[in-house]
Amino acid sequence: MAKFRNRGRLTDGQIGFILVIPALAIFITVIMYPFLNAIAMSFSDRSLLSPNYEVVGLENYIKVFSDPYFLKTVGTTILFVVLATIIPFTLGMIWAIVLNQGFRGSEFLRGVTLVDWIIPGTAIGFLWSWIFNGQYGILNALLQSLGLIDENISFLGQTSTALICVVIARSWQMLPWYMSFLLGGLQSVPQDRIEAARMDGCNNMQVFWHIIVPGMRQIFFLVLVLGAIGNLQHFDIPWTMTQGGPARATTTLSLEVYRTAFKNWKLGQAATVGTVWAVLLLLFSVVYLKQVKESD
Amino acid sequence: MRKALLVLLASLLVLAPAFAGGAAEEATTAAAEGPVNIVWAGWSGEEEASRDIFNEMRSGYEAESGNTVQWVGWTWADTAQQLLIRLQGGEQLDIAQADIGIFNTIAQTGALADLNEVFGEEWLSANFPASTLAVGEIDGKQLGLPWSMASITMVYNPEILARAGWDSVPTTIEEFEQCLADVAALGEGIIPYGVSTKDDTAAGDLMPWLWTFGTTIFNEDGSVNLGPEAVECIQWYKDLLAKGYIQMDIGRGDARQLFAQGKMAFYDDAVLAKGQAVSAGVDPDEVVNVCSAMARPVLNEGDESQSTMWGHMLVIFDSSEYKDTAADFAKYLVSDDVALEYFRRNGMPPVTNSASATDEVLSDAYLQGFIDATSTARLDETARMTNASEIKAIVTEELQRTLLGQTTAEECVETMRTRLEAAI
Amino acid sequence: MFEKTIAFRIFFWVSLVVIGMFVFLPLLWMVNTALKPSDLTFTTYFFTGPLTLENIKAIITDRTIMNYLKNSLIVSFLSSFMATLVSSLAAYSFSKFRYKGRKIYMGAFMMSQAFPQAILLLSIYLMMQKMGLLGSYWSLLISYVVFTLPVGTWTLKGYFDGIPDSLIESAKLDGAGTLTIMGRIVFPMAIPGMVSIAIYGFVWSWNDLLYSMTLVTDPARRTLAPGLSMTFLGEASTNWAAMMSASIVAAIPVTIIFVFLQRYFIAGLTSGAVKE
Repeated sequence: MAKFRNRGRLTDGQIGFILVIPALAIFITVIMYPFLNAIAMSFSDRSLLSPNYEVVGLENYIKVFSDPYFLKTVGTTILFVVLATIIPFTLGMIWAIVLNQGFRGSEFLRGVTLVDWIIPGTAIGFLWSWIFNGQYGILNALLQSLGLIDENISFLGQTSTALICVVIARSWQMLPWYMSFLLGGLQSVPQDRIEAARMDGCNNMQVFWHIIVPGMRQIFFLVLVLGAIGNLQHFDIPWTMTQGGPARATTTLSLEVYRTAFKNWKLGQAATVGTVWAVLLLLFSVVYLKQVKESD
Repeated sequence: MRKALLVLLASLLVLAPAFAGGAAEEATTAAAEGPVNIVWAGWSGEEEASRDIFNEMRSGYEAESGNTVQWVGWTWADTAQQLLIRLQGGEQLDIAQADIGIFNTIAQTGALADLNEVFGEEWLSANFPASTLAVGEIDGKQLGLPWSMASITMVYNPEILARAGWDSVPTTIEEFEQCLADVAALGEGIIPYGVSTKDDTAAGDLMPWLWTFGTTIFNEDGSVNLGPEAVECIQWYKDLLAKGYIQMDIGRGDARQLFAQGKMAFYDDAVLAKGQAVSAGVDPDEVVNVCSAMARPVLNEGDESQSTMWGHMLVIFDSSEYKDTAADFAKYLVSDDVALEYFRRNGMPPVTNSASATDEVLSDAYLQGFIDATSTARLDETARMTNASEIKAIVTEELQRTLLGQTTAEECVETMRTRLEAAI
Repeated sequence: MFEKTIAFRIFFWVSLVVIGMFVFLPLLWMVNTALKPSDLTFTTYFFTGPLTLENIKAIITDRTIMNYLKNSLIVSFLSSFMATLVSSLAAYSFSKFRYKGRKIYMGAFMMSQAFPQAILLLSIYLMMQKMGLLGSYWSLLISYVVFTLPVGTWTLKGYFDGIPDSLIESAKLDGAGTLTIMGRIVFPMAIPGMVSIAIYGFVWSWNDLLYSMTLVTDPARRTLAPGLSMTFLGEASTNWAAMMSASIVAAIPVTIIFVFLQRYFIAGLTSGAVKE
């Protein structure tokens, strides 16, 4: 790229375009085609069982929308995404504040915290289904020995608790990630502003809400968006722990798509769910971005 | 124009190394001439328990024939899907290991060779019992070569039963319930019966009980049956759950874990049940003391005991350029010495007339219970359906809803019927 | 940052204990399991019974597993580096240059993140096959870069937007070229963002199961996540102890790298790179 520098003739726009070319090249070759292909697939009866298929128009869409469980799946997805983002975000923020106190061993704790995040998702799924297991679960054993319960609770076997168990496992996996972003954000809040606020007589809570939170807005926004996208796509922990059960209590769109495509072989229908998901997300981001713009 | 050229240039720059890498890749695969290289796909060659014996089988054949066998593997749970993807891409695929579910899926694609043509009908019927060949036959074509076959039946822990005062296994449902009650009364925290209530195995376990109660999910013509006995059967499940004899959140994996720890009296499994017990430290020769197969209890004395067919097959792909080599390799795998070594090391029962009649196999107490149940075993009702997994998911979901008290047994059967009718 | 009032002390200690337990107890349980003899895996003692290094030793001496680990490190490093580089360039372009089609590209990048990856798999498989990349590291690298690219570009654009235009203008007046401006001024200011994207991309590749299993079937180039599942989650049995031991062993080198990067990342932030 060095040769471009000396050519004064390139306009700014051209330089900008050159910079975006590598990304664009990868993007067009690898994503555009599969992406458009998937949307086209949603109008066909494409199956993994055969390379031949027919165009079936809106049939898949009618099937998806007339499925009595589809709305429930959307609801579960929203619940999962919101909880599995907010919980580790909040805990990660508190953990960051604690570790930011700089006591002896805090650096060590920071490092070890990251291990949770690096363990493969399948192993995490197994670990937490072991913890929550209704028969030989660690949590049940602990609660029993503390005398808090008499009978084992089947945490993953009942609809009321299964989703929250999966959310907890996912939160455990992601907490270190939120923690490290938020810790960085915390340390970037200018010390002089905090001191100035102290001079004005602000207490801890006021400093937190009026100086630290506004100072970290950008980071908050970033981790929440990235975290939510990751949760929307997330698959391995719920799949390992419950396979979407019991009675669909933990079936999110991501699991539904996987099951439809890779267990029922219906690529067309899976692509339909994917397309609906993308449209929902698009609507959401348009509304959201508009609001952000207006509030600026 | 200039902009377009720049795009092209940059794309090439980005992709050039990629293509270079790819070219090198092809050169290595295309180099196989003279002695043939066949691709063998499956899952057991990856698992720690069977990796070594699979490698030995391959290298044994390679040494004997001069051909090479390239192994391609995935997890057992993903093998069907990965085979389908590979087939759609037309990558080389000559022979694969398949269980009944995977076999059925791949057979539906029409990608399998008719083994009557590859091996010759005579060789097949001379070497394999007709009942096992039937499992691999679809519409008159022999698409699967039996490799290991037995049945999924009930497995029990004789030590626990003895403690509960049972020297022999219960034979009727009435006795079975009494036995479950006695196990529960031991008060040792033992789960009496680990029937699956989680994932697709829940539907698989329900089927033989439906048969026991005298009904089926589907009629012969493929329409939904679910007679009034289905309601009784599901109500029976509910009762067992209410009494604490069965539990929620138990899948095959959980049942194996608990059973291997001596915390479960009965569950349903195939001949590979002992794998978990052995990996948990039980001596393979003494497995039968804590893990024994039995006939499933029947509703009325004199009824036929029910079990589901289980097995591994070898399949050869129609698109393979080396069908003869693949067949040669398959013959090597089922030959007595190799099959018996596989049996010795991994407990996989051989199926050829000659190997299954050896003393070694006949005198294996552990295996015998499974073989006995096999004579009356039926195919899983979804075994020949393209959307087997979808059907099983529906059955499992509705069963779970009922067990969780969201619906009654009657409602369960009705919703199941409606959803199944929509799905077939 | 906070005054050590009594309320804050209570908050500090309660949080330290409660969250500390949440974060570390399951992890210690994993270590505990890894150290138990395999026939005692399901007993409930917590470091108080017999312990052994057998499981760990079995993993470290298992050349197949160690090879998976090596592959994972190679693929994760390269893809994370490539993704960060490519998205930095794109983000800088989106942030500081104006040209035709810019908004469309930005929108398109974001959309791709909004589609379930399982659906894209078959098309990507067929494409990699046509390109002759199936089974190579490249097939994984390209897929992982693609999936990190949208998030990376949008995140870094946020960082670059925070850099005042006047800074770039004055550098230009001093005669600095585009490359100099990028290398000396813009990118150093966005290092925290770049490190976070690098880590994001790294863990994405590290944890990916589906793409790796599908695109690479040669055990010689297989990565860790699918490798562990294939080895220990069998048809007949699941080896929990080995699964946990392998996960712990694999996490150690990565943790060390991250601890190093984290310092760097925090140092970058504290130097005040991101201005409001």
